[in-house]
Amino acid sequence: MFTRRGKPPVTAVDDVSLTVGPGEVVGLLGPNGAGKTTLIKCALGLIRPTAGSVLISGWDVSTSYGRAVSNAAAVLEGARNIYWRLTPRENVRFFMGLHGLDPGRHAAYVEELLERLGLRQRADEPVLNLSTGMKQKVAVVTALAKQTPLVFLDEPTLGLDVETSLELRAVLRELVRETGRTIVVSSHDMGVVEDIAERVVIIKGGRILADSRVRDLLGLFATRAYRLVLSNGLGAEQASRLGTVARDVAFRTHGRRTEVEFILPSADKLYEVIDAVREAGAVIESITEKEPDLEEAYLRVVRDGEKA
Amino acid sequence: MKRWVVFKAVFFRTIVEMRRYAFNTVAGLVTMYLIFLLLFLGAKFVGGPTFATGGSLEGLVVGYLVWLLALIAYQDLAWQIASEAEIGTLEQLYLSPAGVAWVNGCYLLARFLVTLLTGGLILVLMMLTTSRLLHLDLVSLIPLTALTVASAYGFGFVMGGLALVFKRIQQTFQILQFVFVAFLIAPVGRYAWLKYMPLALGNELIRRVMVDGVRLWRLPPGDLGLATLVGLGYFLAGLGAFGWCLRVARDRGMLGQY
Repeated sequence: MFTRRGKPPVTAVDDVSLTVGPGEVVGLLGPNGAGKTTLIKCALGLIRPTAGSVLISGWDVSTSYGRAVSNAAAVLEGARNIYWRLTPRENVRFFMGLHGLDPGRHAAYVEELLERLGLRQRADEPVLNLSTGMKQKVAVVTALAKQTPLVFLDEPTLGLDVETSLELRAVLRELVRETGRTIVVSSHDMGVVEDIAERVVIIKGGRILADSRVRDLLGLFATRAYRLVLSNGLGAEQASRLGTVARDVAFRTHGRRTEVEFILPSADKLYEVIDAVREAGAVIESITEKEPDLEEAYLRVVRDGEKA
Repeated sequence: MKRWVVFKAVFFRTIVEMRRYAFNTVAGLVTMYLIFLLLFLGAKFVGGPTFATGGSLEGLVVGYLVWLLALIAYQDLAWQIASEAEIGTLEQLYLSPAGVAWVNGCYLLARFLVTLLTGGLILVLMMLTTSRLLHLDLVSLIPLTALTVASAYGFGFVMGGLALVFKRIQQTFQILQFVFVAFLIAPVGRYAWLKYMPLALGNELIRRVMVDGVRLWRLPPGDLGLATLVGLGYFLAGLGAFGWCLRVARDRGMLGQY
């Protein structure tokens, strides 16, 4: 809860209880103002919670800050977290030193990180001259170079173009697999979370709406969503009949062709849909089981949360 | 936690930034010297031929040097904190296991070492300009200077703490630099209570070393003890105030704001 004189208090994170195990990669998802960044900052002791506690590797952040934080590193606010007047190599050396690591002794690892993130060629140029994507990568390298078992990545791909985002995601995926570090990544980019996280926590209004493995969350919607492509249209009567069998029915017309998307309460209801289509004299071109992506699952969880 | 490594990292960054902003560094030195030149010429014009006698000129050189060191000491940290908050690196500094107070302390020490060098350079220029040779007994001067500017560093921590909460506090710098002048010209010999003021007694002791050639161990032990207490007292009080401001900033979630 944030309090300011003359203003009502703001509860940014409320009743959140979360345990992240060693080697786990957790994605934090939520709309703007959901409390993702506040949650990360509370975990890092950058914001003092009015109640509750945070433990990192068994150390309480409020009472044993130095020990707790020696096990954690973070990329916060993307590229704003580094010194733009210094070079990538100087930034990495500085932040390692700040964490008590002698950069000279870990030079090989630094070089490896710079190489993997494609920064080696420009490692001695001031960060100021680099592109947004490269700056973001420098921020990621400075966090990883601290070699902590826990890494927080707050919006690591914010403001990046698709290509750079994919590139960064690939590197993160590799590093996660190879180093076995615990990573908490918050992002608006569902692809990032889907790509590297195995567990997802959906948060809204400072509360957790869902905490599940990505696979399980997708599985909840996987078997009941279908896409039907008809080579001609569907009459109003048949369309309304479809509405009684399925839910969330959506029609899209492309020339003569009609695309129908719907969700069934159970798989056997598909026969009723096919009957309705046949009676209408429509020709089915294809039926596909629609694989919901994380974005869809996320939207449903958030909407259900709103209704609740 | 290897605190020495943290100091090395901060010192390295300070030097790199100074090198990268070489023009600014040189411009700063030139400005410092020009201000002294104006003071010197002004005092010579107002004081006439008697100004050069009776130790006034030497007093001006020593006073200006201590004022300069104190000014850098208290402004530097606050500027640094405001700037770190603006560029977004302040939260990363806080994530150091050594603690943000240690990181800032390292920064102050690094700047103090650099300031000793730049201050030494300005001193040489001032001596050449005034044709006055002062006693440069480093064994006596370095600890005395450290003790004297310690109180200014205390103010630096207070200002740094205020910068965490209020972000832009540069206007208060203007006021404090005049307050510091008042401390430096305080007649500590006439009013003993003035010795408790920051900078006042330290400046007097430095003057005795540089102008009268008194060695550190020949200074009155009572004055030395008091200068130590005053320096450490203001320094620790400043550190306490910084810690309190830091807590307020964390409670309000303002560490990353600018």
